[in-house]
Amino acid sequence: MKLSSIFILTVIVLSNTSCYKMRKSTGGAQIKTVQARQVSVADIALPKGYKIEPVSTGLTFPSAVTFDESGNLYVIETGYSYGEVFKSPKLLRLDRGGNTTTMATGTNNGPWTGVTFYQGNFYIAEGGALEGGRILRISMDGKITPLISNLPTIGDHHTNGPVIKEGYIYFGLGTATNSGIVGIDNAHYGWLLRQNKFHDIPCADITLTGKNFNTGNILTTEENDVVSTGAFSPFGTTTVSGQVIKGTCPCSGSILRIPVSGGNPEVVAWGFRNPYGLALSPAGKLFVTENAYDDRGSRPVWGAGDVLWEIKDGLWYGWPDYSAGKSIINDEEFHAPGKGKLEPLLAKYPNTPPKPTAIFAVHSSSNGFDFSKTSKFGYEGEAFVAQFGDMAPDVGKVMSPVGFKIVRVNVSNGVIQDFAVNRGYKNGPASQKKNGGLERPLSVKFDPAGTSLYVVDYGTIILKNHLQIPMEQTGMIWKITKDGL
Amino acid sequence: MTIYINRVTAIFICILLFEACALRRSEPLKGSFVPATSEIAKGQALYNLHCDKCHPDGEGGLGPDINWNPAPSFIKKMQVRHGLGVMPSFKENEISKEDLKAIGKYMKAYKHQKRE
Repeated sequence: MKLSSIFILTVIVLSNTSCYKMRKSTGGAQIKTVQARQVSVADIALPKGYKIEPVSTGLTFPSAVTFDESGNLYVIETGYSYGEVFKSPKLLRLDRGGNTTTMATGTNNGPWTGVTFYQGNFYIAEGGALEGGRILRISMDGKITPLISNLPTIGDHHTNGPVIKEGYIYFGLGTATNSGIVGIDNAHYGWLLRQNKFHDIPCADITLTGKNFNTGNILTTEENDVVSTGAFSPFGTTTVSGQVIKGTCPCSGSILRIPVSGGNPEVVAWGFRNPYGLALSPAGKLFVTENAYDDRGSRPVWGAGDVLWEIKDGLWYGWPDYSAGKSIINDEEFHAPGKGKLEPLLAKYPNTPPKPTAIFAVHSSSNGFDFSKTSKFGYEGEAFVAQFGDMAPDVGKVMSPVGFKIVRVNVSNGVIQDFAVNRGYKNGPASQKKNGGLERPLSVKFDPAGTSLYVVDYGTIILKNHLQIPMEQTGMIWKITKDGL
Repeated sequence: MTIYINRVTAIFICILLFEACALRRSEPLKGSFVPATSEIAKGQALYNLHCDKCHPDGEGGLGPDINWNPAPSFIKKMQVRHGLGVMPSFKENEISKEDLKAIGKYMKAYKHQKRE
């Protein structure tokens, strides 16, 4: 039996190494064939006492919902999807029975990432893939008025939000790049070939270490043409140790605010990668979800979980040298397998980044969220977060699909628990599991009474040859309620 | 020897089958998890801080499923302290001995608690 014990232990130890390098990535978008979108509430598991039902189907890239003062439900369609798919962004009213009425149509500058209703108008964050981000006010008769334009979000990440608090519109600006360096991965996103001078912009003066990264020159046709690129600089521009990059506003990776009537932006906080979801807690505190680093590009970062932050005015939150309040420099937790340890881009830091409220799964794409504000729904005070799901292998390898569900977060202790998941042996999107469950939840919103949770499901995306292919008219809205309500 | 190895193989296959049936343990699928002690509650919060991002709810993600990892406790602790494969190591200045014990208690409770 000694031999058998040794055999079992050896197998267990070997299995615990997971053979990571030998295993293929098995992300949620890595599917060969796609069936037509099906809807089956039986394929979704919820805690005992809750039920889910479809509200509207056939939407193209829906991203968020809101309610007017009469309780009518509205949804926005982004008008842009990664994979360089350009459509017209739209504000739609969802009538009873699931039919839609177009309230307003935007220009070719999506994605519209978020919407809120305030004192008779809609406020929308326009991502700005082609012309820069904007915050739009839309009246009930569909008139669109930009309150601020030319926000620097024509890169990997866009203008997000908004939420309104004490007379101000708060919104997020994502960074141009994954981790501070413009590289070939940004050409794969599409924007570097359109805007080859674009780069990240700090909110305050920063001093660089002068670290540069060599890549092939994707902007020329010459073979073996190599360029070197430094932080916060255009593709092919080097930096030197001690170089100061002037801070300005608006800036990348930030939370900004403007008065509801419009006006100059102010920096609320900065040092985020992609601050996607913004929401106010029942106590009126501003929280933000941050999409963390990917294992891609000139400076890949591995093992960085998405983050839920409570926003404290004036602080720097760590990008591009920290993840979730922890330094990524020379730490094996963050260097990609087979690649070197990470070196700092900043010579000194504005402040020590704060501790996160919660850390989500790596590549879960934890996005739009809302707080339960009543005991009628339950889990009062907890944040409900939509997890869009991984885009592996383009963002890095995963061993199982990550995300594709709704989780709830106890913001007092950081404990995250599943709330709505697809049934089955393993987690994953409906298209991979070939069932009628959740596909890619992008945001959630409680109705004004706080008794129903609306889930915006973006629809199906597959990856083929490193190209994202989003499927039109596969988006939908779900509603979750407690039994008896 | 052949008999021993066959028995060992059979046991190992049973363990793998057992694992395969129980990879997912989260609330919607298995019922709510209520920490029975303050140490388990502490371990749950620490698990979320240090482990959950790669093993969400004990399921696979960036790392493998660990909900029904049959490895004995000392191997799991060794893996946390020294890393194994691509898993990074967590030294005592990151996860103290006491915290590691609490995480272990939580994982054991999460694995074994009978739920609705």
